Formats: sequence, structure tokens, C-alpha cells
Amino acid sequence: MTIENKLAGTPAARAARDEDGGKWRAILSAGQQAGLALVVIIVAIVFQTLNPVFLSQGNIIEILRSGALYFIVACTSTMILVGGGLDFSIGALYAFGGIVAGALILAGVPWPLAIILAVAAGAVLGAINGAVIVYLKVPPLIATLGMFFAAGGAITVYTGGTNLFGFPDAFNAIGQGKLFGVPYLVCYAVIFGIVFHILLEHTRFGYETRITGGNRAAALANGVRVNALDLKLYALSGGVTALAGIFFMARTSTASPSAGSSSLTFQVLTAIIIGGTSLFGGTGTIGGTALGVLLFAVLNNGLAVVNVNPLYQNIFIGVILVAAVAWDQAQRSRRFKARR
Amino acid sequence: MTNASHALPAHARTAGLHLKDISKSFGQVHALSHVNLSVEPGEILAIVGDNGAGKSTLIKVISGVHHPDSGTISVDGVERHLRSPADARNAGIATVFQDLALVECLDVATNMFIGQLPTRGPFVDKRRMEADTRHLLDDLGVTVKSVRTPIGMLSGGQRQIVAIARGMRAGASVVLLDEPTAALGVRETAHAADLIRSLRSRGAAVICVSHDMGFVFEVADRIHVMRLGQTAGVRKVSETNKSDIISLITGVRRDDH
Ligand SMILES: Nc1ncnc2c1ncn2[C@@H]1O[C@H](COP(=O)(O)OP(=O)(O)OP(=O)(O)O)[C@@H](O)[C@H]1O
Ligand SMILES: [Mg+2]
Repeated sequence: MTIENKLAGTPAARAARDEDGGKWRAILSAGQQAGLALVVIIVAIVFQTLNPVFLSQGNIIEILRSGALYFIVACTSTMILVGGGLDFSIGALYAFGGIVAGALILAGVPWPLAIILAVAAGAVLGAINGAVIVYLKVPPLIATLGMFFAAGGAITVYTGGTNLFGFPDAFNAIGQGKLFGVPYLVCYAVIFGIVFHILLEHTRFGYETRITGGNRAAALANGVRVNALDLKLYALSGGVTALAGIFFMARTSTASPSAGSSSLTFQVLTAIIIGGTSLFGGTGTIGGTALGVLLFAVLNNGLAVVNVNPLYQNIFIGVILVAAVAWDQAQRSRRFKARR
Repeated sequence: MTNASHALPAHARTAGLHLKDISKSFGQVHALSHVNLSVEPGEILAIVGDNGAGKSTLIKVISGVHHPDSGTISVDGVERHLRSPADARNAGIATVFQDLALVECLDVATNMFIGQLPTRGPFVDKRRMEADTRHLLDDLGVTVKSVRTPIGMLSGGQRQIVAIARGMRAGASVVLLDEPTAALGVRETAHAADLIRSLRSRGAAVICVSHDMGFVFEVADRIHVMRLGQTAGVRKVSETNKSDIISLITGVRRDDH
């Protein structure tokens, strides 16, 4: 033991180094996010220079509002990616939530109950995703792509491709109201962000998600119930995504079978990956995802504010996406492979 | 250490781990056929055998990863149907796997507690996890710079020691180690031997798979030789020698079972 003490220092010194180790890790991952934050700031400065309206209070709120619902979806999809999975069906489940809630309200179901039932229906579809992946051993991409088409197809057939509207004002208010000038949608996004951050970083569910995504075989061998975990993750994704779709429907006073769709899926997954979440599972943060979504919202809004076709953002996003992943890979090999 | 109460249960006659007539096939491959095995509390049983002899499969059957096609497993006198690693853990069996089963992107402390995260209210008690880990590593004389270091940043030997320490932390009555010294240098191998002996002195029934004859003869009380999925022979270390064991491994000799 004395030899060990010489090599490793006194217990007090070692405890101090535990703190250090944590600090370094925090700095490393913060570095990753600082890079992204810097990109967001630079882009914002450019827009601000081109048109001073960009950073006005009203426009900042508009930027946040436009990203709020995608961020809520992105929170649960971040959990899925960290857990080593992938949910491609979110674009369809988003519209599904709105259509189910809308149809129920129009059929006379009180709107609070309609919301609960539609969220539950979304969670059931999510659980079906999970069951197909876990029990039928279909890869997540294929299983959720199947759900994307099946659920998207079902609501299109049901509505005949037309929108539903005519909901009570009290219902529409949940997507249109403001609290001290801040849209409810932004408030919801903040609440979801905090809850999912705590869920991922501090609860057993979050730890087991990171463990399973990091090394599924190890999780299983050490007694983590990985199948049950997957079912919960996909059900959570289905329910929360349906709820976000319901908020969108309330904001627009319209339930549309073409809400969300593949563009939501792609934007959400891209924002998450730009935010530093690994496609291979195990690592990722809600804070990073928030920055990724913010980048989308800033670009989208800024290009409109400076009168450029917003579709130009796709070019920029494409470059950023590849750069972010390349950077992450380089980081990964420097940190891990060198020690193997 | 923390769980001295696990030492030597009262019904010492059936205490420990007992396998009866265990068979396991993967398709056409008979990985295990009719294997009997016993380990008493406070005993170290080494399992040796050529590559593919079925050693890891045996460990995985005992740790609930694989389900035997036939045969019974009992722990401390109670027959157990281990349907999952969680079942095995609940039965008091801890395992250090050959492929280590660590999560590279997570820190040492979290890796110590996979499957048994301590909670405080709804949250994982990170402070306790780190303090307990630091405590255990200090007790064991394991030198890891920080318990917050991601496992991926440790050397192969350090990872192995961490994996062994995790097996010890559980306070289990049966501890399985599959090739615990495979990647270790001389100094670390000696250290691993100390760790395994301290498991024995705590009263655990220890099974250790190893190819390292020097190590086996140094730490084990008995040696169980596997060959082509069957038991080729069982010897007390005090009543055998390396050439006897090697002839069992290679099939030059064979006991009737
Ligand atoms: N999951 C599996 N599926 C199919 N065959 C398997 C599986 N696991 C093991 N086997 C086969 O069972 C036999 C025993 O393998 P096992 O891994 O138990 O050997 P081992 O004694 O641990 O070898 P080593 O010394 O190389 O670790 C081998 O023929 C192997 O190919
Ligand atoms: Mg093996």
C-alpha cells in the first residue's frame, strides 16, 4: 500500500485528482459545444450586421418559438440516439398526434382528454417501434422507417389528405398563448429541456440509457434490462413527439396530416448530431442538442430576415453536419484509440 | 470488506456453487456436454483448457448469459434457474468477463456500478458512487488517476484491474473470472493474484479461467480441466503438477467421468 501511495499520491491527493478528471472531461465536452456555440454566435453577428432587426427582442422570441417544438422532439430523440437506437418515425408521429387529437376533439371528446389519449396513442406506436426492434430484431432504421410510412399513410388515408380544424379557443390557446411576453411554446421547450437534461444525466433511466448505448453487451451482462429500456425509450419518443405535434396543431389551429414529415425527421436528427450526440450511442447531451436546434432556427430566421431564400440554409447545414461529425471522430480517435 | 456478512453461510455442506450435468449446444457445436462442477466457499477453482474447450461458455452459463440445454445450477444449496445476468447477480454471482464488459465512454465510477446504480430518491447518487469507488480502489491498492476518467482512456491492464475490482465490489458469494490476467504485466498479474486471494479469504467461492499455468498453480486450490466441452479431469493443486494438467488439456490423458 505504501508503494501505491508513492505512485498514486495520498488519498487526499487522489480525491483531488478525481475532481480534476471530472473537470477535464467537462472541459473537453464543453469544448465540443463551445465550438458550436461560437458558430451560432458568428452566424448571428453576420445576420445582425446585415439587418439590425435580427437581434431585436421580438425577433429573438420568434427564433426561439420557431425552434421550440423541434427541440421538444429532439430531446427524446437524443435519448434514443444516446441509447444506441434511432427513431426515424418522429416526422409521422408528430402529425399523427395532431390528427388523433383533432379527430377526437371534433368527435366531441373534451380537449384535455383528447390530448391525453393522443399522447397515449403516440406512446403505443413508439412501443410498437421498440417491440419490433427488440423482439423481431429488425434494425432501428428499418423498423422506424416502416412506422414512418405506416403511421403517415394511416392518417393520410383517414383524413383523405385534408386538414382538420374548428377546435375550441381554449385548446388553441395552449399553442398560442404567452406568459410575460414569452410564448407558451418556448416555456414548454425550456421545461422539456430541463426535465430531459435531468433524466439523462441524473436518473437511473438516463444512466442505463448511456450504459446501454455505450456497450449493449456490457449492459446486458451486468444485469441492465436492455430490452425493457428500449421499449421505454421508443414509447417515450412516440408520446412526446405526438405531444409536440399537438402543440403545433394548437399553434396553427389546424391538424394537418402533412405536418412534420421527413423534413422534421431529418432536421431533428441533424440538429442532434451537430450538437455532439454520437450516432453510435453512449454520448450526447441535451445542451448540445439545444445548440444544434438553435443553429437551425437562427439560420432559418436570419436568411428570411436578410431576404435570402431560406433553402440556402441546407447548403450550410450540410457542411456543418459533416464537419461536426468529422471533428467528433478525430476527437474520439485521439482520446480512445491511441490508448488501445 | 464491505460485505463480510456474505462469508461462509451456515449450511456449509451445500454452500458454494454446484453444477450438475450441464450441457449447452450452439447449433451443431456441443460447447458443453454433461459438465459437473463444484466450488466451495473460500476456495479458488481454476478452469483450464485449450481454445474452444468451452471455458467461456461455462462461465456464461453460470452468469446467466447463456441458458443451459439441460442440467442444474445451485448456489448455496438453492437450485437456481438463471434466465438473465440480473438473475445471476441476484443469486449472488458476480462475473468478470473475458471481454471485460466495460463501457468505454463512461467513467470508472459509473462502470463499477453498472446494473446496481445507487440511488437517492429519484436520482443516481453520483457522489456516493465516486466515494465508494475511490475507497474500494484505495483498499485494493489499485492506481487509477481519477474515478471520473473514462474507461476508454485507461490502459488494457488498468481496465482489467478495474473489471476485477468491480467483481469484488458486489460482495457476491460466487465470483467468476474469465482470463483475468490475459493483458497484464508481471506486476499487475501479482496484484490480480492478491485480489483473487482476498476474495477467497472473504469466503467467496471463486472460479478463475486461465491459460497461464504459473498463475493457476500459484493461486488455485483445485484445477478443473476442460477438453472439447467435457470435463477431462479435476485435480487438487497439492496433488498434481503441470505436466499432468497439460496431458489432460491435450487429451494425452483422460479420467473417466
Ligand atoms: N455464441 C456462440 N454461438 C455459437 N458458437 C459458440 C458461441 N459461443 C461459443 N461457441 C462455440 O463453443 C465452443 C466453446 O467456446 P468457448 O468460448 O466457451 O471456448 P473457450 O474455452 O472459452 O476458448 P478460449 O480459450 O479461446 O477463450 C467453441 O467451439 C465456440 O466456437
Ligand atoms: Mg474463452
